[in-house]
Amino acid sequence: MELYEFAWLVPLIPCICFVLAGFIGHKTPQCGGLIAIAGAAAAFVMAALVSYGYYTSDLYKAAEPFVQNMDWLVVGKITIQFGIYIDTLSCIMMLFASFISTLIFIYSLGYMHDQEGRRRRYFAEVSLFLTGMLGLAVSSNYLEMFVFWEIMGLCSYLLIGFWSFNHEEAVEKSSAAKKAFLVTRLGDVCLMCGLFILLYIFGSLDYQNIFGSIEAHKDDVLLPFAILLMFGGVIGKSAQFPLHDWLPDAMAGPTTVSALIHAATMVKAGIYLVARSYPIFTQCEEAMVFVAAIGGFTAIYAASMALNNMNIKRVLAYSTLSQLGYMVLALGAGAYLISLGTKNGDANLIKLGTAGYIAGILHMINHAFFKALLFLGSGSVIHAVGTEDMRMMGGLRKKMPITAYTMLIGCFSIAGIPIFSGFWSKDLVLEAAFAPFHEGLGFGSVFCVLFVLGMITAFMTAFYMFRMWFMTFTGEPRGHCHGESPKTMTFPLLILSVFAILSGLVIMGNFGYYVARSLKTSMPTAGIFVEKGMDVVKEIFTTPATYVALVLAIVGIAIAFFMYSKKAYDPEKFDQDKKPLYYRIVAKRYYFPEMYNQISWKLGYGVAKGVEAIDKQLIDGTVNGLSNAVVGGGDGLARVETGYVRDYAAYVALGVLILMGIFAVIFIYGGGF
Amino acid sequence: MINMGFFLVLAAALFAIGLFGLLSNKRGIVSLMCIELMLNAANINFVTFASFKSDATGQVFVIMSIAVAAAEVAVGIALMLNAYKMKKTTEVDKLSTMRW
Repeated sequence: MELYEFAWLVPLIPCICFVLAGFIGHKTPQCGGLIAIAGAAAAFVMAALVSYGYYTSDLYKAAEPFVQNMDWLVVGKITIQFGIYIDTLSCIMMLFASFISTLIFIYSLGYMHDQEGRRRRYFAEVSLFLTGMLGLAVSSNYLEMFVFWEIMGLCSYLLIGFWSFNHEEAVEKSSAAKKAFLVTRLGDVCLMCGLFILLYIFGSLDYQNIFGSIEAHKDDVLLPFAILLMFGGVIGKSAQFPLHDWLPDAMAGPTTVSALIHAATMVKAGIYLVARSYPIFTQCEEAMVFVAAIGGFTAIYAASMALNNMNIKRVLAYSTLSQLGYMVLALGAGAYLISLGTKNGDANLIKLGTAGYIAGILHMINHAFFKALLFLGSGSVIHAVGTEDMRMMGGLRKKMPITAYTMLIGCFSIAGIPIFSGFWSKDLVLEAAFAPFHEGLGFGSVFCVLFVLGMITAFMTAFYMFRMWFMTFTGEPRGHCHGESPKTMTFPLLILSVFAILSGLVIMGNFGYYVARSLKTSMPTAGIFVEKGMDVVKEIFTTPATYVALVLAIVGIAIAFFMYSKKAYDPEKFDQDKKPLYYRIVAKRYYFPEMYNQISWKLGYGVAKGVEAIDKQLIDGTVNGLSNAVVGGGDGLARVETGYVRDYAAYVALGVLILMGIFAVIFIYGGGF
Repeated sequence: MINMGFFLVLAAALFAIGLFGLLSNKRGIVSLMCIELMLNAANINFVTFASFKSDATGQVFVIMSIAVAAAEVAVGIALMLNAYKMKKTTEVDKLSTMRW
């Protein structure tokens, strides 16, 4: 038995913990908290063993996945299987999801300690959440992946609405949960339709079957639709532009849940789907331009809304949207390059495309670390201050130093300051976005615009993150504060801050090769080629774009410093009644929630009215008419039953006469019997 | 040889008398007797055809028909007796509780 053959245990362990914590959690210490932590930690250890086993196996050397399947549904010629598919991408997903979840669960012990018995529900649900993510990572086909995808959708709904009972803002909380559920559902329907088309084209949803037979079906007219519909699912899950609005509202849940959704699970599932579907996505380069454009636009669009938000969690939520946009941009650009590279047989394009793929994955990992750090840090602040409004904070640096400085590391990382992890991946993302323009490809100008947007986003990111940091931790105290959080909360912060500094450095080693192995596994004929780690680093430091981005980031930090720490320019000027138009638009989130409401009220309500009318008039009318006819007819016919024997005898005689008449007619006109 | 039509007309007349009696008469015992008349009209048809077609099946069937008629009359008279015990009448128009 090889180690990786136990991969099915990885999602199973948190699932068992979900059952245990759910049923007997209240009888254990910490209301099931220890069970959930033990489960996540065991899943991480298991994932590490599986990854190690796969890394040292012959399968890795031969760039083959480890697949184990059993039949699940057999319908006619179509067999849907249930199994595991292990390659380097699934290993990476399992590792960082379980590791960060473990830290978040430990942190939850401190953060949720005053929630009494409701912690049982909390720990059971987060365990199920982790099951969803790990199951998604090891799934061997799209339908199985979709099942886990939906489990996560359900858990996000339950956890975002965690405070919908016995809470002063219960209605707001539960409507945020409903919004998250319904908006992502819109994407899920798209994904489902995409999967139907895939099933129609390939006759299978199995990764191996689809990736193996993609060459035979690459000219299928339906394939671009399948790609776009699947990307619709990504838009919903990873909160890209038209369906982004649920994520800021999802802040209604506990901060730990936000950390879980933003860093380890949920939104990363969409990114994973894009990365996993690379062999399919690279068949249609026009669709990839669309993917990259959505990503690039989301990046700057979300960043602009973070500029003036006063809610510490909302700022982080917008920054997540923005960073997810980066990942989608990198993956879209990478797929575009690989697509053209395989079509034209250009090895250089494939190399650049692979670099884009690696950039997307690396940014996903780095983002997981620093965003978990930032969210847990903000949770620590909220825990101490009791409010999410940054205007009520300030000067917390002295009272809670660990939180303050670990969050500073997170801010440096997301702003893209060298050495910190975000620098490396953000730079690779921007490089990938620039490559199509640099190579003079068909849609190069689009990518040039996206690159510029990415640059501006980098500047905005640095500004709003440090605005948040300066408002929270420097200046005069503007409210009361309980002091530093307990050890269960600061310990995960310290560990995450170490990773937020170091996780980008893996790019110097074999990381790129390791990640790209997944592409080589699923696209064996594409000729995937990866540069050596040190060459990539050398390239980063010899491209002028790196220095431009760096200067922009530093300028952003400096502006934030002067505005919010030194008060050289009073930001209160924006808060007067005569706010600039742009400020108001951004504060209203570009009127997107209003637009949703308008659509749902005008359109949805109108449609519902029409449907109701049809239901009442037509359907009910038919049903009632039928029943009335039957009742009336029955009443009428009942009159026949007079109770007089002679009447009955007369009916019989009449019947016989009629029958005789009929027989006579048949006899006469039919020419005998 | 008498024509077959005579027998059939006799049977039809007997049947018509029975039916008329059944429909016009409200006394239960008379109704039973009318039913007997109709049955015997049918029996006459049976034996007529059996005789003219030289086929014994019809005659055999008449024996069975008479047996059934006897049983039917036994049940019918028992019903009338019981009705009389309960309602003190055998008039069928007064035995009309089984209705809507």
